[in-house]
Amino acid sequence: MKSRGGYNILLAGKPDPHVIVMPMPEKLYLPLKSQRFAFTDICVSHGEQINKGDILAKDPDNFEVPLLAPLSGTIDLNSVEGHIVLENTGTLYEHKEDHAGITNKDRQHIAEEMGEGGSKRLKLLSLGAWQFFRDAHNTCELPDPLGTPQAIIVSTLALEPFLARGDVQLQNRMLQFTRGLEQLQSLLEYQPIYLILPKVASNFADRVRKHIRGYAWAKIIEIPLKYSLNHPSILARNIGLKISDGPVWSIRTEGVLAVDRALTLEKPCTVRIVSVAGPGVTSPTHIKAMAGYPIEALKKMCVGNEPVRMIKGGMLTGKTIGDDELGLETECFGVTVLKEHTEREFLGFMRPGSDRKSYAPCFLSTFRKKFREALDTAIYGEGRPCISCNFCEEVCPAGIMPHLIHKYLYSDLIEEVDQARVDLCVQCGLCSFVCPSKIELRQQFSDALGQIAEEKEQIRLEEIRQQKLREEQEQRKLENRQEKS
Amino acid sequence: MKLLLNIFKKVRPIFEDDGKLGAAKPLYEAIENFCFAPSTTTLVAPFARDPLDVKRYMSMVIIALAPCLLASLYFFGWRMAAMIIVSYVAGGIVEVAFAMIRKEPIAEGFLVTGMIFPLILPPTLPLWMVAVGVMFGVFAGKELFGGTGRNVFNPAIVGRCFLALAYPSAMSSSWIQAGHGLSGRLLEYVSSANAAVHDAVSTATPLVNAKSGDFVETSHLVLGGVSGSLGETSGLMIICGGLFLVFSRVANWRTVVGILFSSFVLASILQFNDPERFAPAIWHIFAGGLLFGAFFMATDPVSSPITNAGKWVYGILIGIITILIRNFTGYVEGMMFAILLGNIFAPIIDEIVFKISIGRLKSEG
Repeated sequence: MKSRGGYNILLAGKPDPHVIVMPMPEKLYLPLKSQRFAFTDICVSHGEQINKGDILAKDPDNFEVPLLAPLSGTIDLNSVEGHIVLENTGTLYEHKEDHAGITNKDRQHIAEEMGEGGSKRLKLLSLGAWQFFRDAHNTCELPDPLGTPQAIIVSTLALEPFLARGDVQLQNRMLQFTRGLEQLQSLLEYQPIYLILPKVASNFADRVRKHIRGYAWAKIIEIPLKYSLNHPSILARNIGLKISDGPVWSIRTEGVLAVDRALTLEKPCTVRIVSVAGPGVTSPTHIKAMAGYPIEALKKMCVGNEPVRMIKGGMLTGKTIGDDELGLETECFGVTVLKEHTEREFLGFMRPGSDRKSYAPCFLSTFRKKFREALDTAIYGEGRPCISCNFCEEVCPAGIMPHLIHKYLYSDLIEEVDQARVDLCVQCGLCSFVCPSKIELRQQFSDALGQIAEEKEQIRLEEIRQQKLREEQEQRKLENRQEKS
Repeated sequence: MKLLLNIFKKVRPIFEDDGKLGAAKPLYEAIENFCFAPSTTTLVAPFARDPLDVKRYMSMVIIALAPCLLASLYFFGWRMAAMIIVSYVAGGIVEVAFAMIRKEPIAEGFLVTGMIFPLILPPTLPLWMVAVGVMFGVFAGKELFGGTGRNVFNPAIVGRCFLALAYPSAMSSSWIQAGHGLSGRLLEYVSSANAAVHDAVSTATPLVNAKSGDFVETSHLVLGGVSGSLGETSGLMIICGGLFLVFSRVANWRTVVGILFSSFVLASILQFNDPERFAPAIWHIFAGGLLFGAFFMATDPVSSPITNAGKWVYGILIGIITILIRNFTGYVEGMMFAILLGNIFAPIIDEIVFKISIGRLKSEG
């Protein structure tokens, strides 16, 4: 498989492969918004007692993806805005019939209507496994659970610093993983499953290979360990899966495990392995926790007294966890912690930099062995006009020309920006990371994409309006003619 | 350091937009940020950034020039220090004035221009000419186009070209013999007025002599004990600094290899056909400003093509033009015009590469 671009950022604070099981919290704060979903359709009432796996809310715009209760407890809807708070966790209540929101009658009906595949897909959706799927060509979207993909891409890699790694999640769970793959395959007819493994000799890869030996439908693809060559869109493009040939589902290790749990054990998927790592963490590690786990408790566990910035997701693509967010969101598989930068270095740019590393070997550290760098939130330097160093194009895994798009955007040439295929940008953030002029390319491109989408929508609406006008005119002409005759 | 930081804190309000010296804000900011790296933090993802900034990037060029500076100090005496100071001060005035008018921060690119410009001038050129040249170069070569990042031409080359056209006699007669021996001209201040005192007779450069078929030995060119511009004589030192720059990836190797390869090939072909008239290819590589231009001037990222494919074309073009001008025109040195021509072609080359790349992207995804 051909691949281009990519850059491996070695950031300090790589999480330990051990998984710490977190103590059960007294309260859970379940955010009603996550990266892709907005759970606006709330299915519980204040004070209601619910059990583990019950549906708390649904996202009406995303195939009714449910927000499941990770633990049993009492609902508090009023105390924190934007969250469902679960109190007295762990208390067991009387089991209710409409577990997971679907009655047995419904299930039978669906099974009759759509066959086994349909009921399997519905199970995935209602037991919280469907939210692990992404549309590879448009990773912000949830694929249609009843649709048929041209292929499924299963990635075991987490190359962005830092997200929960596949090899950590698969410790002692290889069996579940292969079973999950089989379950995935049973959703398909003849379409292939691409299994992405690292292109280095590792025990992990060997074990995976051994376990799936004999599965003709699973095609192994090895990629170099360079961020972000494991991005679903990049993988789909590099494998040669065209958007016109139908959707491509993409799923990561935790997703396969969730599929297994939902389809084999028929249990809700609420507990997950989350990485808590980065230079700001005292002992970076993986933890076993559930959505809604209090951020405060995480902070206490792993952060010292220094001011830090907590990021949900990876360092390059995540989002800052705001003060108003009290619990882990349901799509979060990693919390990256960076120290806040406050110091002003005397003659900063002249330092030899034996502890500093950059994309272009401009620091003394070039002569050192590979090491992990303790970056903080500093921008390091001032914003400057583009100096045409071409670093952004070199690292871009999508093969577009960020510097050119930036220049077009600077001159407000939005049509040229569209022609330069800004839509191929996967928002990996590498160009912004390496830019010596500190230009916020990632942000600019996502703004531009929004603007282009808006303009295209307007053009579409305008065309519809014109069409209607034309039709009305023709109708009138016809009527006139009829009157005359 | 805290003391200095406190002084900056106290002085800062004067230079704010509504302060007494609000107009000089860019100058103040440049000085403050030179001394202390700004404490700005990221607001949007990615939340950490690569530590390389434009200041560091440009400093790498200055470091890479150090061997050339030492060589010029040895061969032509410490007047070169005076020329560098004049170049920085005069060019700096233009740079600061424009930053103040535009109310934009002062860009670091000037640090490189101010250092390179004197190194491509004859050693005894009057200081006022250095000042006029660098001012014109920065003004016409950079500021007219909108400042650093938007200039089409390399400002130092524009300045030198201006001097060559405006003061041809001074530019072609200010050469002196290079120093030799243990101390060279390390302790001498050789200007056009006292050249005779220092036994520094005005000497034609190897390229001038070559026009009459008199070729200096290549080994002299490699070491640098010949007449020529301040920084361009010692091939060895240029290669040392240049390789450092290529290795740190501030200079792109494609441009350098393109120039050296194409000039070598063309010069070889010429010499093969008429060994009497044309100098050997290796001689051409080390003579005049070819090496200096290839490593330090043509690689200027702003005025050369952005794309890697474009850099190949650009490098090959410059190499060929240089050899053609040297051998078939009335001019003795072709590097300056070759780079200027290359600068003119750079946007067109880029445009063509962009067209091809965008055409390729059309069917993607």
